[in-house]
Amino acid sequence: MADIRDAHEDILLAPIEKTGRGFYIGVAVLSVFILWGALAYAVQFFEGLGVTGLHQPVGWGFYVTNFVFFIGISHAGTLISAILRLSKAEWRRPITRMAEVITCMVLFIGAGQILVDLGRPDRMMNVLRYGRYQSPLLWDATSISAYLMASLTYLYLPMIPDIAILRDRLKKRKLFYSVLALGWKGTERQQRALNRAIAIMAVLVIPIAISVHSVVSFVFSMTLQPMWHSTIFGPYFVVGAIFSGIAALIVAMIVFRKIYGLHPYLKPIHFRYLGQLLLIMALLWFYFTFSEYLTGYYGAQPEEMKVFWAKFSGPFWPFFWAMVLCNFIIPLACLVRLGQRTVGKVLTASLAVIVGMWLERFIIIVPTLSYPRLPFPEGIYLPTWVEWGETAGSFGLFALFYLLFTKFFPIISIWEIREGREVGVKEVEERLMSYLPDEAEKRT
Amino acid sequence: MKLPDSDFDRLVRKLQWVWVGGAMLLIGGVVTWIVHLILTALWLEDVPSASIGIALVAIPIFLVFSGVVIYVFWNVTLRGEDR
Amino acid sequence: MALWGMVIDLDRCTGCQACVMACKAENNVPAVGSKEAHKGRVISWMQVLTETDEEHHAEKVRFIPRPCLQCDDPPCTKVCPVYATYRNPEGIVAQIYARCIGCRFCMAACPYNAKYFNWYTYQKEGQGQNPDVSLRGKGVVEKCTFCHHRLQKARARALAEKRELEPNEYVPACAEACPAQAIVFGDLSDPGSEVSRLARSPRAFKLQEELGTKPKVIYLTEGEGGG
Repeated sequence: MADIRDAHEDILLAPIEKTGRGFYIGVAVLSVFILWGALAYAVQFFEGLGVTGLHQPVGWGFYVTNFVFFIGISHAGTLISAILRLSKAEWRRPITRMAEVITCMVLFIGAGQILVDLGRPDRMMNVLRYGRYQSPLLWDATSISAYLMASLTYLYLPMIPDIAILRDRLKKRKLFYSVLALGWKGTERQQRALNRAIAIMAVLVIPIAISVHSVVSFVFSMTLQPMWHSTIFGPYFVVGAIFSGIAALIVAMIVFRKIYGLHPYLKPIHFRYLGQLLLIMALLWFYFTFSEYLTGYYGAQPEEMKVFWAKFSGPFWPFFWAMVLCNFIIPLACLVRLGQRTVGKVLTASLAVIVGMWLERFIIIVPTLSYPRLPFPEGIYLPTWVEWGETAGSFGLFALFYLLFTKFFPIISIWEIREGREVGVKEVEERLMSYLPDEAEKRT
Repeated sequence: MKLPDSDFDRLVRKLQWVWVGGAMLLIGGVVTWIVHLILTALWLEDVPSASIGIALVAIPIFLVFSGVVIYVFWNVTLRGEDR
Repeated sequence: MALWGMVIDLDRCTGCQACVMACKAENNVPAVGSKEAHKGRVISWMQVLTETDEEHHAEKVRFIPRPCLQCDDPPCTKVCPVYATYRNPEGIVAQIYARCIGCRFCMAACPYNAKYFNWYTYQKEGQGQNPDVSLRGKGVVEKCTFCHHRLQKARARALAEKRELEPNEYVPACAEACPAQAIVFGDLSDPGSEVSRLARSPRAFKLQEELGTKPKVIYLTEGEGGG
């Protein structure tokens, strides 16, 4: 493999070689949030779930919202990495690793939310020992395990050549990188095997990812509750997940572009393409939401209408309309014309979508529980500092995991950028030539 | 021409076996767990169809993972030096 | 094999809540305190729901004593991840506190809100508790069990006396306590029992029957089929 060293490549290795003051400040800030979360959970663990705002009938609140939200964000990696890789989109090269890391880290946080939500976390082994596959929670456990393993494999395999570069170039952590590099030398046999393995994983990871968020939605749609028992939930949640995943990826890209100076690699064109994808997902999300609510409204079942009006004009109206603003109006306003100030517009839209999609999960879960079918005393859910702390701690922990990853491995795939330069350009040219009509035979 | 292995290289190779072995244990553990859940459902006469249905899809997927891991380990690490 | 069921006559029910108190005393249902009650965490295995007429508020009020409806196709048992709630062969939906992990999925799935959660450790061992019923710690779900411990005691007594179980030997606390005799309990699989006879009455209806849960608590509507 020719060793065309990129002029900017040192930027990619810099975070691993040196640690600046900014890193420690970042860790300190994140630690504050994480400590808040840890304290909140410690209080909950010893006193019971009563320290939250949960009650009857609203037995699920922030924690389950966070669970769905974080698992949703994990779809960032799959879409960008696997689908773009399979469709041979060349612009994916600096983005794939960031996306895959999001997926791996956020799945831990997401699965952790369910453990935090348990009344008896000391009995979590019961799920392993006595699990019932008729329960959607077991479908969750299985598919999230499969997705976690697939994502970790799919993150690790393309990292191997980069780890080999670290092994050869860096002086520190020699043993660590040598072991993980699996003896990579860049030989033909190794390259063929790795490319084949990555291709297999790329194909495999897509249906697993779709199953993950479908199965998360089934936790709600398999019950008989008004506005939960809906057939649209599977595709709705998957679309929402991809939507929030792209937004999270864009934010991560912009953050690390700034702090590590990755401007040569993450150019406005990448944000433009991602912004266009975000726009498409916003429109798709809106279509699903519209279908869902129109169907409920037109059918006018009394129990469903109670929940419907609670969201539209009742106690939940601020959250519902904030959701529409953040998921549809702001993204549309920002992303329709991406000519100038691309990065700024895309950042605004993404931050809005992250907030909006969190609200969307909240709006799906809590209003339905708040309005039971029978004349049960209704309740208003008021989250406490414990739930806010747990949420802040979860975001903080995710950010910390991500930050720590960038200290050990390059956040942009060095060998894939090199491959793009050496091989990609020719491949694309050949592909374009194959689309054009064949040259006519010369007439004699 | 392959140079003789240094102590460092031998240690690295041992740890690589541990690393990949650990991954296989994890995958094997999940497959075992799924089978255990099927057996539990049958023993308790609960709804074995759910367990068997899911196992038919899930277990092959985990087996493919282990296949990919073995394939990569074989071709990259163990036989990587060959052309 | 018996199929335990209950018929509640809404025309006789006065809303006095003697059934609620008897159930709480019999089953060691904790008093959660006024602060917790304010937050909506009252545990009441038998709960009297009040239905007001939607158009004319406070005009037509109906009292619906709602125990666990012990469904024959329970939506709660389907979703439990750990076999902590299941329907036993005699039709009672059991709740195993020692297995429950407190995920509250069954609570989210029950269309009758018949399941309750211990948000704190609401009680410790003390005076005046029924020794036949185990105390629940924090973090587990509990619900009406048709006083299943009474069935076990009655069966044990019958076995010791080498005879069959008499039909009126096993009665839950709520049915026993009701001063208007609005709650009738018995074996639905015995066509001659009073419960079966009442269940076939033209006044009989089931709550949210259209959901297909097949509840075994059957209500008799007020008046001549009105309400």
